Amino acid sequence: MRMMAAQRGQPANLASWRHGALSRLLAALLALIAFAAAVPAVAAPVFPPLTGRIVDGADLLGPDIEAALTARLSALEDKTGDQLVIVTLPSLQGETIEEFGVALGRHWAIGEKDKNNGVLLIVAPNERKVRIEVGYGLEGVLTDALTRVIIETSILPHFRAGDMAAGVAEGAKDIVAVLSGAGEEVAQRMVAPPSASDDVFDTIFPILIFIMIVIVIVIIIRNGGTGSGSGGWSSSSSSGSSWGSSSGSSGGFSGGGGSFGGGGSSGSW
Amino acid sequence: MRFLVLVLAVFTLAGCGVNAIPTYEEQARAAWGQVENQYQRRADLIPNLVETVKGYAAHEKEVLEAVVEARAKATQMQLPADILTNPEAFERFQQVQGQITGALARLLAVVENYPDLKANQNFLALQSQLEGTENRVSVARRDYIEAVRLYNTELKTIPGVIWKSVLYSDRQPMQQFSASEGAKEVPKVNFGK
Repeated sequence: MRMMAAQRGQPANLASWRHGALSRLLAALLALIAFAAAVPAVAAPVFPPLTGRIVDGADLLGPDIEAALTARLSALEDKTGDQLVIVTLPSLQGETIEEFGVALGRHWAIGEKDKNNGVLLIVAPNERKVRIEVGYGLEGVLTDALTRVIIETSILPHFRAGDMAAGVAEGAKDIVAVLSGAGEEVAQRMVAPPSASDDVFDTIFPILIFIMIVIVIVIIIRNGGTGSGSGGWSSSSSSGSSWGSSSGSSGGFSGGGGSFGGGGSSGSW
Repeated sequence: MRFLVLVLAVFTLAGCGVNAIPTYEEQARAAWGQVENQYQRRADLIPNLVETVKGYAAHEKEVLEAVVEARAKATQMQLPADILTNPEAFERFQQVQGQITGALARLLAVVENYPDLKANQNFLALQSQLEGTENRVSVARRDYIEAVRLYNTELKTIPGVIWKSVLYSDRQPMQQFSASEGAKEVPKVNFGK
């Protein structure tokens, strides 16, 4: 009540004033709206759209690896509910990878809203930075120390050798292993010399991917009888996930409202 | 009749920002809780870190003691309930935490001279936890800065300023972090060396 009186008080004396004041108020409001809309665009970096579980903005991964990894990530979500998204960035837009990682994770809202169980594997090849960004809810499982081990022993050796795709694949494999409860092996590498265990994984990894693909195909074929069975990776991911309202154009995949608090670790090469 | 008008007023006014001040206030307090939480987490890591470093670099007494002392000061500090609106207390909190940041930075710089320690797995795990926690601290600080910015702006702009004068005249603007400590937290490469 008092507010309305205060707003009306003075201009009510003269009709022409009232008109002038009104249009000025309108102009001020419009300016305010324009300002409010402009501010976040200036302050925040431009984020790539979440087009799937793998957002390969820097074009580091071939289609084969991408398909295999997508299957792996979607199997992880079906099993544990955890969302892991791999993103490669052509530029960090002047931010540190830590700042960018938290902001991107929150922007995409990776992970479930009440569990905050999202993880981002971020690679910025031009800045030569890599980071595993861990959502609030997974900080106890995928600890800072484990993310460091994964970066140092699985990712960076490949990156230093120039094989970006292998580094991403190895890193994703380790993250999935830790989140699936098989993290002991990764934790043991804290003690073991990194180079010795590395060679073993080079041979095991393709086999694991193959097994993974076979399992996923079997699951799809089995489910095909009852469902509409449109086939392909995106259908298996969208039918298996419980995210519901997706943003439409993202091929059935979207964040679930999870948040991030700066957990994880970074590396450079 | 008067009661009815009051009820009606509450429901119609809820749409025009009467709840904004308490809402922003709660968000800012929650963000502050997270800041305290992460600083506490950092303090909890220190005893283990100091023990580990001692095993390899016991004669770096000065640096180690500085860390222990800074931590003791921080844990002994009683935070007054009104810390967010009390400039002196807020400043003291910042100072105390800044001393830990500085002491830890010196400790980690000294560690560079001890390759055995740098290869120690326990130390590596602690170091990554410490780095992660420093990063969490800076995320929590950024969130707090943003929450306080919203709250303070609401107190000073229409319609918040009107609601403040009518209903929330006891609300004070909250303290902001000064930029200097945030800058100190990020270790910079020294090209002079």
